[in-house]
Amino acid sequence: MSAVPYRRTFARLLSFLQPYKRGLAISAVLAVGSQAAQIALIWVTGRNVIDEALLKHNAQKLWLYVGIIAVLGVVSAVFMAGRRLISGKQALDVEMDMRQRLYSHFVRLSFGFYDRNQTGQLMSRATVDLQSVRFFLGYGLVFFFQNILTVASVTVVLFFFEWRLALIVLAVTPFLILLAYRYSHIAHPTLRDVQQKLADVATVTEENIVGVHVVKAFAQEPAEEEKFRVRNEALFRQTIRANRQRATYVPLLSFLPLLAQAAVLLLGARLVANGSLPIGYYVSFNLYLALLVTPLRSLGMWVGQAQRATASGERIFQILDEPEDVADRPDAVELPEGGGAIRFEDVSFSYLPGRPVLEDLDLALDAGTTVALIGHTGSGKTTLSSLVPRFYDVDSGRVLVDGADVRDVQLASLRRAIGVIAQDPFLFSTTVRDNIAFGLPELTDDEVERVATLAQAHEFIDRLPQGYDTVIGERGITLSGGQRQRIAIARALAVDPRILILDDATASVDATTEARIRAGLREVMQGRTTLIIAHRLSTIALADEVVVLDSGRVCARGTHDELLETSSIYREIYEHGLLERQFADEVESRAEVEEVA
Amino acid sequence: MRVHQPGGSLMRVRGAEVEDWSWNSTRRRLGVLWRLTKPYRLRTFLSVFSLLAATATALAPPLLAKRALDDAVNGTTGTALIVVVVVFVSLGLANWGMTYVETYMTGWVGERILADLRKQLFGHLQRLSLGFYERNRAGVLISRMTNDIEAIDQLVTDGITTLAQSTLMLSGTAFLLIFLDWELALVTLTVIPFMIIATVIFRVRSARAYSSVRERLGLVTATLAEDIAGMRMVQAFVREERATENFSTVARSYRDSNMETVVLNGLYFPFVSLLATLALAIVLGYGGHLYFQGAIVIGTLFAFMLYINNFFDPVQQLSQLYSTFLSATAALDKVIGVLDEKPEVVDRPGARPLPHISGRVRFEDVHFSYGLRGGEVGEEVLHGIDLDVPAGTTVALVGHTGAGKSTIAKLLARFYEPTSGRITIDGYDLNDVTMESLRRQLGIVPQEGFLFAGTVAENIAFAQPDATPEEIVRAAQTVGAHDFILRLEDGYETQLGERGSRLSLGQRQLVAFARALLADPRILILDEATSSVDIGTERTIERALRTLLADRTSFVIAHRLSTIRDADLIVVLEHGQVIEQGSHDELLALQGLYTSLYGDWAGAASAAG
Repeated sequence: MSAVPYRRTFARLLSFLQPYKRGLAISAVLAVGSQAAQIALIWVTGRNVIDEALLKHNAQKLWLYVGIIAVLGVVSAVFMAGRRLISGKQALDVEMDMRQRLYSHFVRLSFGFYDRNQTGQLMSRATVDLQSVRFFLGYGLVFFFQNILTVASVTVVLFFFEWRLALIVLAVTPFLILLAYRYSHIAHPTLRDVQQKLADVATVTEENIVGVHVVKAFAQEPAEEEKFRVRNEALFRQTIRANRQRATYVPLLSFLPLLAQAAVLLLGARLVANGSLPIGYYVSFNLYLALLVTPLRSLGMWVGQAQRATASGERIFQILDEPEDVADRPDAVELPEGGGAIRFEDVSFSYLPGRPVLEDLDLALDAGTTVALIGHTGSGKTTLSSLVPRFYDVDSGRVLVDGADVRDVQLASLRRAIGVIAQDPFLFSTTVRDNIAFGLPELTDDEVERVATLAQAHEFIDRLPQGYDTVIGERGITLSGGQRQRIAIARALAVDPRILILDDATASVDATTEARIRAGLREVMQGRTTLIIAHRLSTIALADEVVVLDSGRVCARGTHDELLETSSIYREIYEHGLLERQFADEVESRAEVEEVA
Repeated sequence: MRVHQPGGSLMRVRGAEVEDWSWNSTRRRLGVLWRLTKPYRLRTFLSVFSLLAATATALAPPLLAKRALDDAVNGTTGTALIVVVVVFVSLGLANWGMTYVETYMTGWVGERILADLRKQLFGHLQRLSLGFYERNRAGVLISRMTNDIEAIDQLVTDGITTLAQSTLMLSGTAFLLIFLDWELALVTLTVIPFMIIATVIFRVRSARAYSSVRERLGLVTATLAEDIAGMRMVQAFVREERATENFSTVARSYRDSNMETVVLNGLYFPFVSLLATLALAIVLGYGGHLYFQGAIVIGTLFAFMLYINNFFDPVQQLSQLYSTFLSATAALDKVIGVLDEKPEVVDRPGARPLPHISGRVRFEDVHFSYGLRGGEVGEEVLHGIDLDVPAGTTVALVGHTGAGKSTIAKLLARFYEPTSGRITIDGYDLNDVTMESLRRQLGIVPQEGFLFAGTVAENIAFAQPDATPEEIVRAAQTVGAHDFILRLEDGYETQLGERGSRLSLGQRQLVAFARALLADPRILILDEATSSVDIGTERTIERALRTLLADRTSFVIAHRLSTIRDADLIVVLEHGQVIEQGSHDELLALQGLYTSLYGDWAGAASAAG
């Protein structure tokens, strides 16, 4: 990372504080006030209490000055409290701003972005990196400013008291700052590595426990123990390394100021003895030293903090700078009325440059028809269906829904007209009802029940502990693949789409239920255009027509019987895929019926 | 190891509850810890000694500063002063050295104990039987090894030191103050009760506040994780606005609950600072009064001013310890609970190794019920299974879920022992042989082929860690996995990620096949995967299965039609009993359950046409 972008990132991070300028200014004033009171009360201690009152045996002045000290203490505490409350609230606000900025960008990023980035990585930016940035912006900067302020003002005061002693103190400070910075710099990667090693140990443990039947079956317990021992020792060694760094630096950081104090004790006492330094000054000087140590030590740490926060900021900005490739055009219009006719005209598409998934594909689906898409893995079935709701934009050619190019209509109006049932239906951990009404939250209970019944889901939902109010994933309530799929079907039906896209995959729905879903689907497909990515024979039976895809092109089209005659690819898929699966489904499915009964 | 972070110690407070404070269990806990330190007594002693020395040297500087000031006031700034400063610096050096030793040794002993405890726990887990794993959720066991050990870590590496150091610092300072001037000391110490009261209130309130912050932060993270994972659905159903709104609500509620901690911190820390100033005012006021009476010298006042700072840190640190202590004790109890578990299936006394077998398996009137938590016996799941399987036979187990297919497989691997009846291999009763010798001649391929993080080669060689690279490649070639492995970026050395996550389902199965093939077991138990894979892989798997099943006795929990058809013996199970057995053709001729299963399939196939 070169120096300029680094500084630019830092400046950009600071821009998050822009809306809080006034609050920042107030905190700064309060910080200065609190600091000034602290400095003043030590000043009073030495110059007034000791030199004027005690040494001159003036009891009246003693009580006056002690009173002043108490007042200064109160003032400093009140200012400090004010500063903490204001800047603390601000830190939380800044954090919330950042979270919301990030989130609202997340919802606008397109499918391609989520294909390229794993959830885990994105989460790590939205949590770990955000944590480091918000900690620095929220607290780090304030403390940094306060520490600088303390160091600067105390140093000035020290020079005022006795410049020779002040020079000695000043000599130690750079070492202290450097040392603290160095420690922070060294310790951070070590500690991160400790976390990594901890994760390694956890992984071995987790796999050992989850895979216990494999371990035991192959009598590999001793080998597993050895594997664990190696990781465990590596963790131990790394922790000890971190520990040694701490042992090396932390005591040294306490020792350095002690050296300065020793010099002050020796020279200061001599100056006091020969009368050139009043005793009170000497006492104050020592008290100031104590005030100086912590900020000096922290300064180095904050510099390290700032560096890490900037690096984290860089990673967050990478996301914020990610363009929204699929977005409404400025002149986008509502999707025109229609029955859901779909046309692919000369469509080419690739996820990665140079590796086309669809090539010059032409396909027209009449409104209201049901078409099954068939093809080997990688033939482009799912991709083709993803272009209709404009999850991706085509590289060339166009996709038309009811005569309108999908790029010319408003995304929201397009997607509202399409119901998608994904291969592995993603359900949210909320109630069954909210999952079904996901696309149309204002749906009434009756309507939710109606679509659930259509999707053959009503019966099992009714048997769940809280029926439609059961929260999915809570207290061990897990749904089978078939049940999830049925909820996903209900969810798609709930928006009453003119186009239905169904990726019918691995779901192991039992034969009886499947027959019922089929019947239900037959009913709901009436009056809609349906695109089914089929993996089973029974699904194909639903379709008016089968389209066979091969290497990104339509290679055959027709009914099941026609294709058995004419398409060798279809025959192959039929014999080795569809039939083979059927028996497994059958045997398993009876079990589900049995269990329910 | 803890990572230092302001506020971090507060975030650690867990809802830990210690159930049993009786002397017996306390002794048990201490006994476990004491035994763990046993091999490291010298180092333990060194860390205790250095801790004492470091604290003692840290107490000295104000006393010496007083001497220096006294000397200055008296005008005796010659050798006496130099001696004072030399002592000051030497004590500083000693403190540096002792703190180094203390930090290093305490950390070393603490981390060593934890490493040993982890190792002991892991080793114990290896010896526990499968029944234990089926009664306890994996997540709970994993948390014993991670969260609970970490909670103990905080006490062992940090808590005990803080306890000793803070207590010594507090009592040492109080002692020195009283030694310097008991009257002034007593007056000054009056701020301490206020400090303690404020700290206790602060701790209790902020423990509550932080637990709500943690909860809501957890909600923020969970919402974010779920929405990112489900972003495609959010967009497909045009939910962007609502999702953003919902997230804002969650984020705002987190902010609001955090505001309470801001207020608490914003009141507490200035209050402590105010107390410190008041203590200074008291020292100056009352001390000045004493000074006027000639009872003390300026130096004493000076020493008092320097000492009062010693009070504030230790009180704050001590107050943090209580929760650390509670959660560590609760964690230790849970760990001890696991260590106390006894394995259920163990080698009988006098068990002999199973000699090289040909693989004839007999089940003789086998009954079985699973044990439940708390030693009770569950409902019987196998009711008198009789099977006679000649060596080299492929057996397909067919039946509904819960019919007893996998229980039969588990009994054969002796993960459990029959409640009555017996299982023999080549005439040897499984209960009379050592488990290791049995399982060395036995291979299991679970559904979807469980893989471990590590390289492809390591996974294939799982049962034969000393296999040569050639043997590994040969096994992979035989099952047809070689080609796709070579296409991975590092070939056989490719890291697979947790549970083999980098491979597709079909690929994972093939690697598991290669693993079983390399182990070359006499008896193979295979649970066929039910999920579908693409057609190319499907065929490879079909071929690989044939190779794998040849020349050994195999029990297949079968889902694939071709596997069932090709089996030498099909065993149809229902409700823990064998209903039908025979070859495909024999069973079809029987016109029983198998025929009806087969007929349903045939019907579904023709319905499509």
